Amino acid sequence: MRFMDKESGVATMPQTAPADDAALLAQLQSGDQRAMASLYDRYSRLVYSVALRVLREPATAEDVLQEVFMQLWRTPDSFIAARGNLGSWLAVVARNRSIDALRRKRSGTLIDGLPLVAPGNVSDEAERTTLMERARVTIQQLPREQRRTLEMAFFDGLTHSEIAEMTGDPLGTVKTRIRTALLSLRKAFRP
Amino acid sequence: MSDPSITSPTAQVSMAGDHPTPEDLVLYAMQLLPADQFSEIDRHAAQCPHCREELGRVLGDLAALAITAEPALPTVVARDRLLAQVARERKVVTAPASKSVAPSETPPASMPAPRPLADFGRGKGSTLVPEPDVISRGRPNFGWAGWAVAASLAVVSAFLYHDHRTVQENLALQTGEMQRLNARAAESHQLLDALTDPQAVRVILAPKAPPRGPVAGVTYTPSKGTLVFLASNLDPLQTYKTYELWVFPANGKPAIPAGTFHPDEHGNASVIMPILPKGVAAKAFGVTIEDAGGSDKPTMPIIMAGA
Repeated sequence: MRFMDKESGVATMPQTAPADDAALLAQLQSGDQRAMASLYDRYSRLVYSVALRVLREPATAEDVLQEVFMQLWRTPDSFIAARGNLGSWLAVVARNRSIDALRRKRSGTLIDGLPLVAPGNVSDEAERTTLMERARVTIQQLPREQRRTLEMAFFDGLTHSEIAEMTGDPLGTVKTRIRTALLSLRKAFRP
Repeated sequence: MSDPSITSPTAQVSMAGDHPTPEDLVLYAMQLLPADQFSEIDRHAAQCPHCREELGRVLGDLAALAITAEPALPTVVARDRLLAQVARERKVVTAPASKSVAPSETPPASMPAPRPLADFGRGKGSTLVPEPDVISRGRPNFGWAGWAVAASLAVVSAFLYHDHRTVQENLALQTGEMQRLNARAAESHQLLDALTDPQAVRVILAPKAPPRGPVAGVTYTPSKGTLVFLASNLDPLQTYKTYELWVFPANGKPAIPAGTFHPDEHGNASVIMPILPKGVAAKAFGVTIEDAGGSDKPTMPIIMAGA
């Protein structure tokens, strides 16, 4: 069963775990190392999976894993529970940090201050699997060029101009494919 | 990504009315815009609730995309390493800064919540535990002596508590260092095992045609799924390309990707301990050139191979 987010109009799954995450984050602010261990046990697999998907190198992916969780430990304030779902936030941060590692540079931190509208509750392993399957089916059903363009941009960190150069497609087409693919993904999570 | 080295395909961000186009907002959220365009949208988004709301949705979409990554488990060593680092950067609980210690109060109960590590050393959030500022005002009445004793006890208690905290902090430091050393030792031991295991398969990969070219060696232990790959004399690749190592199972199943790599300026590269399934006997190993990020299937030709 899913619910509609009143502000965003985006469908979300029942949020049962954020309270736990919020409590753990509060303990984190108090320097509780056990809370850190709990959050790591809950989300390390997700963060590592994203990093490994981007980097394809376990050692580097573990470096990103360490970096993401140390960021959480050092500045838990950068995530505010009310802004979304911690797991979703970590997943996007993991992707961004991995792309940074690919390019050997550090990018901006725009995500810190934005109210991320979570696709669902990814703190629960079973629910995360359900969400993953739904997202995968959606991605697989995309037109091949759309899927490929989206994955090149998101998982390979290629810019639209780089993709256009590689594929020979016009810049505008590349941009449109990326957004259209993301919109399809968003629709998959509507009731 | 806001990379200044990325050539801006257009002079500025495309605008839809007063806002960036939805397509550019997506690229911004993915951090794939050139630095100038990234900054332009960054400034706009900081002032525009409409765009921030849309960016929140896009980030949610990206999170949904991120979770499609094939689930994988980090090593236990990674957990130990993180917790050791956390222990090293533990957050110190500060003592009250100026409040007088009343005789009835105990120092632990009056401690404020600790502050984030980033705030340490910044005035109000200083990690230095201030000495209790006990105001002992002389009172020439009957209760003076009792209050003085109580105040003295409070001061002593505060100092003892401070000492106790110092000992605890030192202990935590030592524990963190021990954990870090243990984690490193475990990593080294695992690597040594992989290199010295008598069951390990050692294969030299060399180009089929030219006698002087890239060479590589693989040390692989099927039962443990451990692999160490070292290569040299590799040619540099274009930015959009990467080398990828493959394990070809003996049972004829599809090739298993064993990591992507780029050579350094001397043409050397390595893949150390990639995550591989255990118990897969290898028929051969190979290296291909793939698009950046690697591939799920090897793209022909196989430029280096060994069996």
